[in-house]
Amino acid sequence: MARRGHAGAAPRPLETGAHAATVWLQQLINGVSLGATYSLVALGYTLVFGTLGIINMAHGEIFMFGAFFGLLLVETGLLSSVGMLAAAAGGAAVMGLLLEYIALRPLRRRQGGHLTPLISTIGVSIFLRSLALQLFGPESQSFPAALKGGSFRLGGTVVTQVDAVILTAALGLMLGLWLLLGRTKLGKAMRATAENQTTAALLGVNTEAIIALTVMLAAALGGVAGALVGLSFAVSPSMGLPYGLKGLSIIVLGGMGNVVGAMVGGLLLGFAEVVTVQLFSSSWRDMAAFALLFLLLVVKPEGLFGRAHQAGGKV
Amino acid sequence: MGDLLANLLNPYNLQLVMLIAINCLLGLSVWVPLSAGQLSLGGAGFMSVGAYTAALLTLQAGWSMPAAILAGAALAAALALLLGYPTLRLQGVYLAIATLAFGEMVRILALNLRITNGALGLAGIPQMVDEVSWYLWDHTSLGSGQGPLDPHTAGSLIILGVLYVLLAAAVYALLRQAGSRVGRALRAIQADELAARAMGIDTRYYKLLVFTQSGFLAGLAGGLYAHLYYFIGPGDFGFTRAIEMLLYVVLGGMQTLWGTLVGASALTLLPEVLRFSASYRLMIYGGVLVALMIFRPEGLISAALVDALSWRRRRPARALPPGEGAA
Repeated sequence: MARRGHAGAAPRPLETGAHAATVWLQQLINGVSLGATYSLVALGYTLVFGTLGIINMAHGEIFMFGAFFGLLLVETGLLSSVGMLAAAAGGAAVMGLLLEYIALRPLRRRQGGHLTPLISTIGVSIFLRSLALQLFGPESQSFPAALKGGSFRLGGTVVTQVDAVILTAALGLMLGLWLLLGRTKLGKAMRATAENQTTAALLGVNTEAIIALTVMLAAALGGVAGALVGLSFAVSPSMGLPYGLKGLSIIVLGGMGNVVGAMVGGLLLGFAEVVTVQLFSSSWRDMAAFALLFLLLVVKPEGLFGRAHQAGGKV
Repeated sequence: MGDLLANLLNPYNLQLVMLIAINCLLGLSVWVPLSAGQLSLGGAGFMSVGAYTAALLTLQAGWSMPAAILAGAALAAALALLLGYPTLRLQGVYLAIATLAFGEMVRILALNLRITNGALGLAGIPQMVDEVSWYLWDHTSLGSGQGPLDPHTAGSLIILGVLYVLLAAAVYALLRQAGSRVGRALRAIQADELAARAMGIDTRYYKLLVFTQSGFLAGLAGGLYAHLYYFIGPGDFGFTRAIEMLLYVVLGGMQTLWGTLVGASALTLLPEVLRFSASYRLMIYGGVLVALMIFRPEGLISAALVDALSWRRRRPARALPPGEGAA
């Protein structure tokens, strides 16, 4: 299955004679832009893991559907980045809600093994990928150039409007999430549910509603990330898998369930990839995530920001 | 009657039945570590190592097939042992994702190295069935068309037999292991690793043991797979394969080894059974997975079911002789 085709972030062409500092500055911009989307993907995984202790294997496919929701809205003729991202977030959130009701909640009631939610979300991901193939066909599709806009120069480097949209949206969402979790009553309820469901329920938190909300929020973040990736590269039914795998690497990198870790881990991976492309070649790009993850796990298994007692659970 | 037999033994069906044996081996390679509570998703990587090693040895070094396939399995086992060391202290999801990362690293290497021929993969790998068929053609009366079977069908049946003998040997060895001191140690580690260690079980040794066994089985299956088809490429051993292997075990039921065999057979046949629904079959497949996890999370074959079907009555639990409990 050829599934890496769309993911190649070719380094932007650099004008000849550009001195090394400019090259690296350009790579820094590319790295932040790439890393910000990785962070958004990883946040979706980490929110669900933090609350439910499960890995949502359907996250990559919700990410992909988010990109398609955005594309569908733009195809109606509404050329607005904000509208496009809102459609992606809204559509993905509804999918998250369905996921919770169909594939997650029934399993919690039955108290099956630790592997059952993993398998049932894998089932959902297989279903969704094949549904997307039916609905949209296998080809890659692009957002219209009018939405992408042009680029501008910044001290010898090239910044595209897409980069600007990605950075604004991703950093804005991350700031919003940080404020939501840290400063609001809802965020407190979410953190309490993640910490201990029984205790949170005893203290009057409607944990089932909070869980549904968390899954929806995670899906919405994934959907926005998908739309942003679709905006800068292309949209296709197979785009979810590579990003899903990288998102998984990042949450381990940052410590499972750790929100700040996912943000920093995503940016770190973005940098690692552009450095890999710069030093070696773009075909080794995907190695960066897994090599980094593997090294880290061997040296510091609890992740960069993880606490030692996060043992990773039983399977 | 002859027609029916010829229909039943068409090359397509025969290859499907052979594939079931290989997938059973792959399923077992996931089941073995899981029986000690270790979820490893690196199976596709080890399968890849076994397949590429064996294929390169027959294609370029001119080795005989059995030797090449065994060498591939041995290399995969050695690599599993090496991978086992640094990942020993990882648990649960961490181990799963680390082994997944290993599998992806193998895939990206295969995609980029010259010796593996990159994305194009290796083509023209000699086939086991062909080899036997040619031998039959040259050395028996089947070649002259007088026998009841043509040489190719006869060759397929012989390879089919070889594959199932290999599978039976693996099953027998694992059953013996499950009933031995080693099996009890593995179950203890699965139940509670800390308690097992406190009881004096050398958990490091046993975890490395199951890892190595898992690598060997996946490598063996990989070598066989390479020589069942003409072609292998990096895409054959990706994340999808790793997930498929896990599904065999969980869907079939991970409490016993039999569940894995049933799961691998069922999931190999299911796409064929669903062939009538053509483009919807993957959607049905995904739906079946979700439904099964909701309605029968222990998998198709549970330990209780195996006990009920077993002709041997279950022995009452007895105290272990001194010295046997702690390994």
